[in-house]
Amino acid sequence: MKKVISLALASVVMLTTLAACGAGNANTNSNSASNKPSSEAATNKPENGGTEEAAKITGDVVFLTNRTDMIDKQYADYEKRFEEKYPGVDLKFEAITDYDKTLKIRIASGDFPDVVFTPTIPNAELPNYFAPLDDIAFSGDIHFKDLKAQEGKMYGVSSGGSTVGIVYNKKAFEKAGITALPKTYDEFLAASQKLKDAGIVPLASNFKDKWPLDTWVYDIPTLIGGASDHQNKRAESDTPYTLDNAYGKSWGILRELYTKGFLEADVNSTNWEQSKKDIASGKFGMYLLGNWVINQVIENGAAAEDIGFFPFPSDNSGEAKAPLNPDFFYAVNKGGNVEAGKAFVQWMIEESGYDDFAGFIPTLKAKESKLPQLAEFNSFSPKFFEPASPLDAATQIQNKAQLDQAAVVQEFVLSKDPQKVLDKVNTAWAKAKKDLGQ
Amino acid sequence: MFSRLPFKTQKNFVIVGFVALPLLLLLTFAYYPALELIHLSFTSWDGLSPNKPWIGWSNYKEVFANPAIFGVFKHNFAYFAVGIVQNIAAIYFAVVLNSKLKGKNFFRLLLFLPYILNGVAVAYLFGYVFDTTNGSLNYLLGQFGFDALSKTSWLGNETFVNYTLASIGFWRFMGFNMVIYLAALQSIPADIYEAASIDGANGWQKFISITLPNIYKIIELNLFLTVTGALEVFDLPYILTKGGPAGSSETFVMKIIETAFQFNNYGLASAMSVVLLLFVVIVLSIQRFLLKGKGE
Repeated sequence: MKKVISLALASVVMLTTLAACGAGNANTNSNSASNKPSSEAATNKPENGGTEEAAKITGDVVFLTNRTDMIDKQYADYEKRFEEKYPGVDLKFEAITDYDKTLKIRIASGDFPDVVFTPTIPNAELPNYFAPLDDIAFSGDIHFKDLKAQEGKMYGVSSGGSTVGIVYNKKAFEKAGITALPKTYDEFLAASQKLKDAGIVPLASNFKDKWPLDTWVYDIPTLIGGASDHQNKRAESDTPYTLDNAYGKSWGILRELYTKGFLEADVNSTNWEQSKKDIASGKFGMYLLGNWVINQVIENGAAAEDIGFFPFPSDNSGEAKAPLNPDFFYAVNKGGNVEAGKAFVQWMIEESGYDDFAGFIPTLKAKESKLPQLAEFNSFSPKFFEPASPLDAATQIQNKAQLDQAAVVQEFVLSKDPQKVLDKVNTAWAKAKKDLGQ
Repeated sequence: MFSRLPFKTQKNFVIVGFVALPLLLLLTFAYYPALELIHLSFTSWDGLSPNKPWIGWSNYKEVFANPAIFGVFKHNFAYFAVGIVQNIAAIYFAVVLNSKLKGKNFFRLLLFLPYILNGVAVAYLFGYVFDTTNGSLNYLLGQFGFDALSKTSWLGNETFVNYTLASIGFWRFMGFNMVIYLAALQSIPADIYEAASIDGANGWQKFISITLPNIYKIIELNLFLTVTGALEVFDLPYILTKGGPAGSSETFVMKIIETAFQFNNYGLASAMSVVLLLFVVIVLSIQRFLLKGKGE
């Protein structure tokens, strides 16, 4: 027995020491990797060729990306083309999942890559970590200049924009006998009824996954209220969510679609990956999502010409409206290789072709998107709403109240008494507001 | 160089060397983070800023005062209830598979296999099983002619969504419990059973008077695992329901993660973690107290 115990002890000790070796190695590796940029930036400087302007920029630059799927594919091409233009720079990509959380932890540790997407932190904190990007000379005016700005300086450049509307399967519409695209809310309901009668699920809400409901929180209220600052305005009120304001109306639409049976048969059991295939095959008729989803539906087996895109008619006025939302913002680590980082951001916006690959509306205002569906969308000549620059006050209250708006939408739609749900949320809101002394 | 030192010094060297390393690892990777967690629970740290304002006990007050935070513990009850059933089933299968049964190794393997599968993979797998419109479970029910049952929304019903999720845990961990019971059963000497047979005891009497007392310690261990498991459920609801419908399958650990990483209230989240830790200690103390003295 004693022998067994000592054997077990010995093996446990061995295991932990081995584990220690592993951990130690990992540490030194990551250290050397993160130390590299600065040391090589110094040694590389004297010896490099290339064009005059580009030659000034040297060193390593590391871009932390969320697109794990592009590593060794598009990024390999980007690296080649970028380093051709800037021979003194060694561009590296690092892809991570769970981007926001991971990046925040790395920022808190004080050591993070040169170019990143801005994490979800208040704008007031941006200058603590990032370099101002105003001196990048873009070839034209850009969208979303003021969204990641603090005291007149811009700290983030949007990687592209997207709008939100109805992505639909033309074959499904044909099968249901819909000849004209709905321009008013009533026409939209009528079209949904036709789809339902034809055995097609009219609108894929992906209710269970929560995030697809964000459009009902951020975008549809913008269209209904005709202003994009509704999220900020909440900070001024003790009852930001009422049945007759933009939120109540927006969520009321979803609730109406739900009660009329225009959503999936069981909204609590939806499957995002499957829904893309079902839209592609015409089993589902429509999505209310951003234009970024179009390429994904096409990847899932739809012919590109079968997928259309039109503005969501939120009322009966017949006037087309649409939000214009930024995607992730590039930001440059102020403690990293700033010059090369800026060059990379400019190159990504102007030359990489990433916006077309990702199906974005280009950040440069003058540049046209190559996506045919966006041309169809624009043929409705919608009035675009650019987002208002966010105020921290509302976000602070929301975090203090631990309010997950998409979850509230779910509760609002499923509940027998939506007013009660709003009352509960408003009470929590008012309390958090009072606790923060606002 | 060591060979010249006296035996006692050599021995001490080895002892200190062997003890220091694991202790150091334990301190850096377990105790230091734990102390830091307790420290953070008294601050209102937002996860980023260098200063961590000290705010005393107010995080703890918030945890207990806010029903939206503490109330989710009742969702964990389903996992606890199913966990008890799971242990009973595990003992049953262990007893059956400990007897002279043909192909018992095969059955043991079959029951143990789910435990080896990755938790996230299991969650996705059951996502397909419990899907309302395309799921295999509802399809099966439909084929058997239970038309009304075959439209059940297994993961969308507020009253039993937690039991649906807990049943996945049952499938996954029952085999693991069973293997532990099996090991305990095999250590019971066969002559006790023989003696009991000679005295005329039937199977049930043998189970109650011999088997159960002999595996009491192991039942306690398995209950410990079940209770902590029930309190710390996370992966299944996180992947399958995202806490829905309308928050009815949210668990305490999900809430902690949400608090920290979505709402940036790291201080409050730390306090919640400490409360969870205390909760586990309290529940286990109660369990120890109730089972005390038996099977000694």
